[in-house]
Amino acid sequence: MRPEIREYPFDWMLHKSMHIAFDSLKGSKKEYQCMLKYMPYFQGLMDLLGKYDEPGILFVDLVKDAVDEIVFARDQGKKICMTTFCFSPIVLLAMDVVPVVMEPLTVLPTILWKRGTYDFMNYCFEVGLSETSCSSQRGALGAYLAGLCEPIDFIVFDSGGVCDTNANVFAFSASYLNKPLFQMDYPASFLDKETREYQRKDYRELISFLESQTGNKLDLDRLRQGLEETHKQDLIISQIDEFQMLKPNPLPPIFNLFMYAGRFLATSKPGYTKLLESMLHTVQNNADQGKSGLQSGTEKCRALFCYIDHYSSDARMWNFLDDNGISHLGSILSRFFPDHAPYLQGDEINSGYHIKLDTLDDMIDSLSAINARSPMVKSIRGPYDSPYMWLEDALAFAKLYQADCIIYSGTPGCRNTWGMVKPFARDTEKHGFPTHIMYSDAFDERVESFETTSLRLAEFFRVRQLI
Amino acid sequence: MMNLIKQAAFDLSNDSITEWKKSNHPIVGYTCSQVPVELFYAGGILPVRLRGVGIHGLDIADAYYGPFICSFPKAILQSMAEKKLTHLDGAVIADGCDSMRRLDECWRRASNDYPHMRLPFFHYMNIPRKVADHARDWFIYELQKLQTLLMSHFNITITLEDIEKAIHLYNKSRKIIEQIETLRKFNPPKISGSDAFLISLAAESMAPETFQKEASAAYEQFLSQPAEISDGPRILISGSAYDDIHLIQTIESAGANVVGENVCFGPLHRKTQVSEKLSPLEALMEHYLLTCPCPRMFGRFDYRLGLLKEQIQSVQAKGVVLQNIRFCDLHASENGLLEPELEKEGIPCIRLEREYGSQTDTGRLRMRIDAFLERIT
Repeated sequence: MRPEIREYPFDWMLHKSMHIAFDSLKGSKKEYQCMLKYMPYFQGLMDLLGKYDEPGILFVDLVKDAVDEIVFARDQGKKICMTTFCFSPIVLLAMDVVPVVMEPLTVLPTILWKRGTYDFMNYCFEVGLSETSCSSQRGALGAYLAGLCEPIDFIVFDSGGVCDTNANVFAFSASYLNKPLFQMDYPASFLDKETREYQRKDYRELISFLESQTGNKLDLDRLRQGLEETHKQDLIISQIDEFQMLKPNPLPPIFNLFMYAGRFLATSKPGYTKLLESMLHTVQNNADQGKSGLQSGTEKCRALFCYIDHYSSDARMWNFLDDNGISHLGSILSRFFPDHAPYLQGDEINSGYHIKLDTLDDMIDSLSAINARSPMVKSIRGPYDSPYMWLEDALAFAKLYQADCIIYSGTPGCRNTWGMVKPFARDTEKHGFPTHIMYSDAFDERVESFETTSLRLAEFFRVRQLI
Repeated sequence: MMNLIKQAAFDLSNDSITEWKKSNHPIVGYTCSQVPVELFYAGGILPVRLRGVGIHGLDIADAYYGPFICSFPKAILQSMAEKKLTHLDGAVIADGCDSMRRLDECWRRASNDYPHMRLPFFHYMNIPRKVADHARDWFIYELQKLQTLLMSHFNITITLEDIEKAIHLYNKSRKIIEQIETLRKFNPPKISGSDAFLISLAAESMAPETFQKEASAAYEQFLSQPAEISDGPRILISGSAYDDIHLIQTIESAGANVVGENVCFGPLHRKTQVSEKLSPLEALMEHYLLTCPCPRMFGRFDYRLGLLKEQIQSVQAKGVVLQNIRFCDLHASENGLLEPELEKEGIPCIRLEREYGSQTDTGRLRMRIDAFLERIT
């Protein structure tokens, strides 16, 4: 790592960036315009956040608070837990633990900083992590491995049996940083009795681990509060999900990012509820007017992202979609599977989770069920064409949300999906959905520049006569 | 001598397999060292570890797998498509790692295009990645599930007594391999690394009784007439799945002696026998889950480091080659942790990345190995 990079703590830089972004967006139009000349490399991102007024500002506020919590955790005597986006942090918050979620912390600087997170990504290799490992964690992880952040206390991940590259990164970090680790792993099947029982036992073991690490007992009242708030948030998300089925889709593309990044960083927190309410308001207004959520107001094509999004610098992916009249119908990151989700209503068996609050046991079971439906954990733990897995989910979403096409965006580090995305794409094509596989890295533009990525995407939309 | 063994090490359609096939007993391929062979053999089924030997490209496999995938499962798929494994009556795909578990879907999809790949018995086996009590129960549940499926598909019975007998039989193979390994402890060794490794490989590609006969004869011969081996530096190879002797040959032709492997081929990689005191399924669980030295078992780095150090000491290795197949993140990262730990204790290491199968880059590897040997001699 270059010596000058070591001079600046990663989390504090992010903290500063978010505060400046927030203050800029909160300023008057004139102040904001004046500030733009000082941010030549991420004007697109600022515009993207700014053009939706309240939801954009609330999102930045939410991220700012999440980063603040990390940098001030020690001052407040809180423990810090390194974890992953596919682990629901409700239980950590209920135990007064601050989660440090690697993937969103990689995305933020990737879209926000001119140099992205390349130095930190590379640092992971310097200390021995495989250079073919997933980039989604490496951006932030490099900084943690280099000691450029508030030190973590322990590590929790739940990608065993789901995604080896993800799990491996956390196992590596635990050994390298010499920190205690807890992993949850998942059987390939989803709803059978044995699997549910396994998940319940695994989750109870996690709670014992957390209690031993924090010295605190699981706080029943905080847990209940957290789950109640999550339920409230789920209900709003379900409403937004339902609006997304409309034609034209009244949801601006970037709202998908707000929805899942908010969930990963601030689930069960009132700030996230406020953001969702504000998003719902915008979406409802658009729907009332029969308007598309796209800036142009005209929806030319509806694209379902069957895996994740693309986090190019300056968030150019969303502007690309917006500029080309392509409506974003969500990805595996934005679907959480509560039992009232509109996409589960037609199922013969409702595979969603139900939040129960009566007893501690009920609440722990609810947490376990939420976690078992986290992104990746739900859809790619088993063979992609098995019941309730990736293909079934993607086809169901594509039909329900009236998708014109399906886009795969991932990272070369994703052994799991690259192991079967070709047969998957053939299957979705057979079902009538033109499918495009992006060979770029969602978190690292050095693999393929966004210029190339967008040219290939544009070619796909053109050749398949989608726009 | 060693002809049958060499054949089995290089060819999965070897004479021992052909002989077995004549007896009308089934043959089932499996993909991972955590799949218990004893369970198959207890029902009169010959288990054969699937490997991608005898192929010259990956063109068919690349049509199903994406580009960023380990070449080991790709090679297995290619072998199947190229009709190199036509004797199989079934296959068990274990979720050893992400690349390997996706062999399940790629294989099934490829059998639509290559119908000879469609096997009457095809099973995806779950294996936990931790050793907690409930994970142990889960592994036993998976064993029972596999047992039931084998019985119903092949119309056979597999009793606990049958499993006990199979454990006893395979332990005998392990014992013979252990004896052969003792020949490597001499200085200079009485057997070359490539010959010793061939014997380990053959154990997973032929009927155990035939293997035992052939391997015992080989042991006796090497004991009485040791191979002519020079007194070179003693090297241990560790890392990704490795079933090709070319890397060993490259090292040995550079003047070193490969005195041990810590890779997932050959029954030795776990060292211990399967317990004959525990109930058979418990014993299999203990052996195949609890003592598994693969980094897929997350959070057990210290355990694996301990095992490797023990092995280094036991074979008196002077250097360790930490190799991994490209895109094998598990071993590549583990090697990144092992290297500083071992170097700290004065054990020189070199990290090598390679592709699965016969080496396409022998020159590059030879140059790095030469430099490494220069460093340690």
